[in-house]
Amino acid sequence: MADKKKRKASKKKADEKIEVVLFKSESCAFCPRAEEVVRETLEDFGSEAFTLKIINVSENPDAAEEYGIFALPTVMIGGVSVTGIPEPEMLMKMVLGAKVMTKKKDGSK
Amino acid sequence: MSDHTIERVKTGIPGLDELIEGGFPRGDTILVAGKAGTGKSILATQFIYKGATEYDEPGVLVTLEEPPHLIKRNMIRFGMDLEKLEKEKKISIVDLSPSKEITPVTIGEYPSFDLSGLEAIILNHVKKLKARRIVIDTLSIMAYKFKSRDILREEFFKLAASLTRTGCTLLLTSEIPAQDQGLGVFDIEAFLASGVIVLYNEKISDTSRSRSIEVLKLRGSKHSSRIHSMRITEEGIRVWPGEISPGV
Repeated sequence: MADKKKRKASKKKADEKIEVVLFKSESCAFCPRAEEVVRETLEDFGSEAFTLKIINVSENPDAAEEYGIFALPTVMIGGVSVTGIPEPEMLMKMVLGAKVMTKKKDGSK
Repeated sequence: MSDHTIERVKTGIPGLDELIEGGFPRGDTILVAGKAGTGKSILATQFIYKGATEYDEPGVLVTLEEPPHLIKRNMIRFGMDLEKLEKEKKISIVDLSPSKEITPVTIGEYPSFDLSGLEAIILNHVKKLKARRIVIDTLSIMAYKFKSRDILREEFFKLAASLTRTGCTLLLTSEIPAQDQGLGVFDIEAFLASGVIVLYNEKISDTSRSRSIEVLKLRGSKHSSRIHSMRITEEGIRVWPGEISPGV
């Protein structure tokens, strides 16, 4: 019973986490730096609030096609994206925007 | 006289192959330029359709502008059933049009990106299908999607080189803005391709327009240097090689 509750709580927590998706490729010269910036910015923000998903388009082109993303690196957070090595301030704006959207959604439930 | 002959890829567009020594040189990049409504997308899609149905050459159609359901609807008017060819795995339509709901809204762009994603997406389809023809329709939309034109110019060269290295013949379309004298919004379109075809739909009187086609350049080919009549018929585009256009 307690286990069930715990699982439920952790599932809820996972649901509350903001998903950050980085699209990169093996041949993209700018992607390693973009990944560093994203990781550092999320750490500054408190990484437990995020899930970082990295899609390597060289290995998984279908995912990039599905999202219609073909310029790399691209970072996607909650329905918006930036292309190129992002500035931390821009990532923060996107994260805050995603948080507002999550709260709005919760409020409308 | 050289004994070397260049292998040709028949376009299958009635009348066009006669103007270009039987077809495009295999593995080349060809640009089809024209103002809005001149028939660029029809010609490009017809090239893919004919390849798959008449020459056993599977093709990848990458659409950056028009969603696939509209392309299919428009082409079925000419008796070209793209849906069927897709099911038979003779063609792939790669939907990178802005109409996709799942595509995130771009709110920022930094001049530090490349088009390696586009390359990977297209090569994935080329491999799956063993494609011999690729169409990208249209390059011009990139000018509205991205600000960094210098990056795009360089990336187009890399992309064209990488795609044609597979042995595929690549056809790119480019929209010439109204009142513009060039071949597209990037000013490098002519250098990108070894062949350039220009389509016209010029006003010839107060009440009518005339369609025509010009082979502006085609490296390694003795092509017609005249502007020929072209029509969009019930079976798609048809060129009249013996007819010189009165319109341009």
